[in-house]
Amino acid sequence: MNAPATERFVVPIGPQHPALKEPGHFEFTVEGETVVDATVRLGYAHRGIEKGAEGRNWTQTLYLIERICGICSHIHSTAYAVGVEQLAEVEVPARAQAIREIICELERVHSHLLWLGVAAHDAGFDTLFMYTWRDRETVMDILETMSGNRVHYSANVLGGVKFDLTDESAVAILKGVEFLEERTHHYRKVVSEDAFFLQRTRGVGTMTHAEALALGVVGPTARASGVARDVRLDAPYVAYADFPARIQLLTAGDLEARFLARLDELLDSFRLIRVLVAGLPAGELTAKRMPRKLKPGEVISRVEAPRGELFYYIRSTGGEQPDRVKVRTPTLCNMGSVITQTIGHNLADVPMILVGIDPCFSCNDRAVTVRRAGDDNGRAWAWADLRRYGIDYYRRIRN
Amino acid sequence: MKIALFTDLARSAFRRPVTERYPFEKRPAPPLYRGQVSWTAEGCTGCMLCVKDCPAEAIDFFTLDKANKRFVFRYHTDRCTFCGQCAYSCRFSCITLDDEAWELAGGDRAAFVVTYGRPEDIARVELEELPATGA
Amino acid sequence: MTRDLINLLFFPAGLGLIAAGLLYQWVDRKLLARFQNRLGPRWFQPFADALKLLGKEEIHPAGSSAFLFAALPVLALAGALTAALYVPLFGLAPVFSFPGDLIVTLYLMSLLTLCIGLAGAQTRDRFSLAGALRVFTQMFAYEAPFILALLSPAVALMLAGQPSSWQIGELVLSAAGQPWFLLTLPITFVVALVGLMGKLELPPFDAPEAETEIVAGALTEYSGRGLALFSLARAVELVVGLTLVTALYLGGIGAGPLAAVLFTAKTIGLLLIVVVLQTLLARLRIDQTVNLWWRLGSVLVLAQWLLLLIFRVLR
Repeated sequence: MNAPATERFVVPIGPQHPALKEPGHFEFTVEGETVVDATVRLGYAHRGIEKGAEGRNWTQTLYLIERICGICSHIHSTAYAVGVEQLAEVEVPARAQAIREIICELERVHSHLLWLGVAAHDAGFDTLFMYTWRDRETVMDILETMSGNRVHYSANVLGGVKFDLTDESAVAILKGVEFLEERTHHYRKVVSEDAFFLQRTRGVGTMTHAEALALGVVGPTARASGVARDVRLDAPYVAYADFPARIQLLTAGDLEARFLARLDELLDSFRLIRVLVAGLPAGELTAKRMPRKLKPGEVISRVEAPRGELFYYIRSTGGEQPDRVKVRTPTLCNMGSVITQTIGHNLADVPMILVGIDPCFSCNDRAVTVRRAGDDNGRAWAWADLRRYGIDYYRRIRN
Repeated sequence: MKIALFTDLARSAFRRPVTERYPFEKRPAPPLYRGQVSWTAEGCTGCMLCVKDCPAEAIDFFTLDKANKRFVFRYHTDRCTFCGQCAYSCRFSCITLDDEAWELAGGDRAAFVVTYGRPEDIARVELEELPATGA
Repeated sequence: MTRDLINLLFFPAGLGLIAAGLLYQWVDRKLLARFQNRLGPRWFQPFADALKLLGKEEIHPAGSSAFLFAALPVLALAGALTAALYVPLFGLAPVFSFPGDLIVTLYLMSLLTLCIGLAGAQTRDRFSLAGALRVFTQMFAYEAPFILALLSPAVALMLAGQPSSWQIGELVLSAAGQPWFLLTLPITFVVALVGLMGKLELPPFDAPEAETEIVAGALTEYSGRGLALFSLARAVELVVGLTLVTALYLGGIGAGPLAAVLFTAKTIGLLLIVVVLQTLLARLRIDQTVNLWWRLGSVLVLAQWLLLLIFRVLR
């Protein structure tokens, strides 16, 4: 055959694509079915939340922050609340912290089960998808009974939590956890034994320990490659110092390991929830006094979201409003691994590798100004300049 | 070759589907459920904490006469995010979130604005188109 | 003459067949849903879907031949409907029959796959192209074992020195006098049934239309009427395929209305097996599909034929 040996073309995935539950844009250059190059563009779901936080008071911002993510809403508000409480030098009662941790772990359960379903769907295993989401209803119901809402629990207030753990809730939690634990053992067997499913996960998207370190991945994605990185243990927040989690490490680093890492984490969460419910410290639900104005200062708050390390930087200039809230979500840290891991794989594996990091695009999208090193001309654009630029840009791409 | 879901399949085949037939069959919401906000004048001192901390600016508060406790509380259901901060902030338990009124969809925008207060005060607020206090 | 027309247009072929196809599709979807613990659609859902699609605007993508774009769905449906004429639908005698129609039917059944592949290949959409590539790849994978598997009963009869023919009508009558070929040729039965799933692109062989990878595969650009015709063609092909496998492997056709009911029940039984497989198995990548068919499917069929020959020699 004298035809050109390489028939390359670019498969665009997104911003709208059935594999993506949120907008993101990927371009995969393929030769036949093999991916040889990949690029990613993020930012389609930028919502201006960081800027929005600057125009609201400390309490209002708490609820705005909670809406960054529709899956891990509580962990965002916890990260923010922990930071603000540190700024205000407020001591949060132990019972409130423990209740926060219970909800953190229940949320992790809900998030990982959701992810398992989505990943199964991307692998074309819809039956597993339906079963996991059926069982996820259990934890959603628990959270609804406990907090009054299925998604945005609004458990946190600055200085503590809104509601107590009632006896009915405790019973519901223990009952639900027992059922879910049995199901999770079963799903762990499914993902590690089902012959057809293993063909799609074993040895796919393997990331070695060294690569994981170099790419700076976080969360279960890192732990599946043997990187012992878990904020719950490295820098315990809320009640994690008294009720510690156990790290779940695997070494294989492929998609199967990422499935198993998350399922193992689920099992540890069940253990932790039981310990917390049994040993819930007595005491108040909120701190004595939470000031409306905060002293000037800045603080960094790190927590372990279901997807990995979530980072908050909060600065106060002494007013009723935050001066700056900076959020970095784990998806951003993990996105680099998608680009490197897909190269050399079959196009059919791309959605699986992408979903393997459990991406959450709209949480992740931020406005970024890139300044090259040594470029003194770091322009600050006024509104008029920005408008001018926008008009020129669209005129240019239309022609 | 192991196929892992076989037992689930056999079990599901003889099980009722778990799909809930909402709106034909309704499941009551749990008691803590955060639905529509309601306000009662009893105990209200007009401190405005609920308005200040509302993240969605869903509350308009009208202080007609603070000494005689004549207030009007206008609530925008369509802006509300049902976070419950207003109920939490209120030291006199004037605000509650309803666990029954949560099917709030509707085609009429005006129905989303609920005004609480004495009828004559509401009439005054509406007739004179008073600005909300602190707005 | 009138009888032929009724046969052709209303029952068992024609409209009756299309209605049956949609009902079979409903059974498929409903059973799948129940196995997944869901409610599933009501019986008229496939009809409503087809009607809705037929009434919708068809958007013709730029850069593809308008003639081919419109003609391919028609050809696909026509092929499937024609194939139905030679098979004993619902256990009734085939509407038309001539020597060698078994081969013709098998080729007509492939027409749908070819049309879907061509439909994807002639648009400029990248998902369609990737889908078309997978359609053809998959076709080359399952086609040979599938055809050989469906020819096996005729070959077996021939080797056994029984009256045999390449004419479906006669073949199924002589099959009726034999023990079920399911028992004597179990391997090719499995290959035929699984091959049918490959032909209909049902999970786990749905890589050509894997939505999470290539949207709707070869049919990404289709909407409205074209899509409706393709989906009707698939519905018809489901019935034709199940009928053919049932007739050849599950005891041929008998006489009388009861035999027809029994025959239909057998096809539904086969559909149940197909649904169970759909529920249990995760999607195969296209290279895994090819591997499965060439490494396992073909070898199994050849092994079955070898066994037949050995029996023949030993006797």
